[in-house]
Amino acid sequence: MAQQGEKKKKESILDLSRFIDKTIRVKFQGGREVSGVLKGYDPLLNLVLDGATEYLRDPDDPFKITDDTRELGLTVCRGTSVVLICPSDNMEPIANPFLQQDG
Amino acid sequence: MLPLSLLRTAQNHPMLVELKNGETYNGHLVACDNWMNINLREVICTSRDGDRFWRMPECYIRGSTIKYLRIPDEVIDMVKEEVVAKSRGRGGGGGRGRGRGGGGRGGAFGRGGRGGKGDNRRPNRGGGPMRS
Amino acid sequence: MANALESYIDHTVSVITNDGRQIVGTLKGFDQTINLILDESHERVYSNTQGVEQVVLGLYIIRGDNIAVVGEVDEDTDTALDLSNIKAEPLNPVVH
Repeated sequence: MAQQGEKKKKESILDLSRFIDKTIRVKFQGGREVSGVLKGYDPLLNLVLDGATEYLRDPDDPFKITDDTRELGLTVCRGTSVVLICPSDNMEPIANPFLQQDG
Repeated sequence: MLPLSLLRTAQNHPMLVELKNGETYNGHLVACDNWMNINLREVICTSRDGDRFWRMPECYIRGSTIKYLRIPDEVIDMVKEEVVAKSRGRGGGGGRGRGRGGGGRGGAFGRGGRGGKGDNRRPNRGGGPMRS
Repeated sequence: MANALESYIDHTVSVITNDGRQIVGTLKGFDQTINLILDESHERVYSNTQGVEQVVLGLYIIRGDNIAVVGEVDEDTDTALDLSNIKAEPLNPVVH
């Protein structure tokens, strides 16, 4: 019983193996955003991203990302500062989807 | 009721999550854990200023970056059922942990037991406060 | 004393969050990190130029590390308030 409980706890709700060799988007504490091809990871969410691209932010508004990017190449991302992970393909900007619902 | 029980019950329901950075995420909850880390599917991300939107098929959010979660009203009634069912199954509660332990052993490590400065040192049994 | 929040369960509480919002709702649960469950909650938006605007929020889980103040609301006093005539400066976010 106790063992079962521990086993459950250890299982991550995120299966990063699905994203290996796929491009993912990662957001960090502090506002940086990066995308790259996932090459490796550990349970603490440290990530190895290949061909990483950082999306630069508006200098006047550090919460607003712009179209400017810079190439970072092969990177290790520190797990403790990762805020969000999502697959990069099929992530697309869209028009306000809430307007029709309200009107 | 524990907030994380409510969150677990809200699996497969739509919800809104606001992060500390001001971004909001609308999606269906797939999974959550004891740290409030969550997996959402069919997500719409709204920027902090509320004028830019992204669609993403799924995303994983670290619990510590969440400000709040907005959950459909009906979910709170479903928690009650779940809790009742579980406690029946276990057949009565039983003790919950051992508390903080009793008064300790005192003895050698009690106050004044480890070699005071003065000549008037004396044994201090039980570790209680020394009376002069 | 157990957790002081225990006595607020099923009572109306007012929560001030770190971003300076005020959320009022019925406390349905909490945990050791002060994550809260608020039912039938609404936000009170303060303004210098017009009365308090109430925005319905519904069922909420608020994360404890984002909470500055939790207070019990005296419902008689609260319903006696004429919120539409209260003007006040919005709160600033907590500075870390």
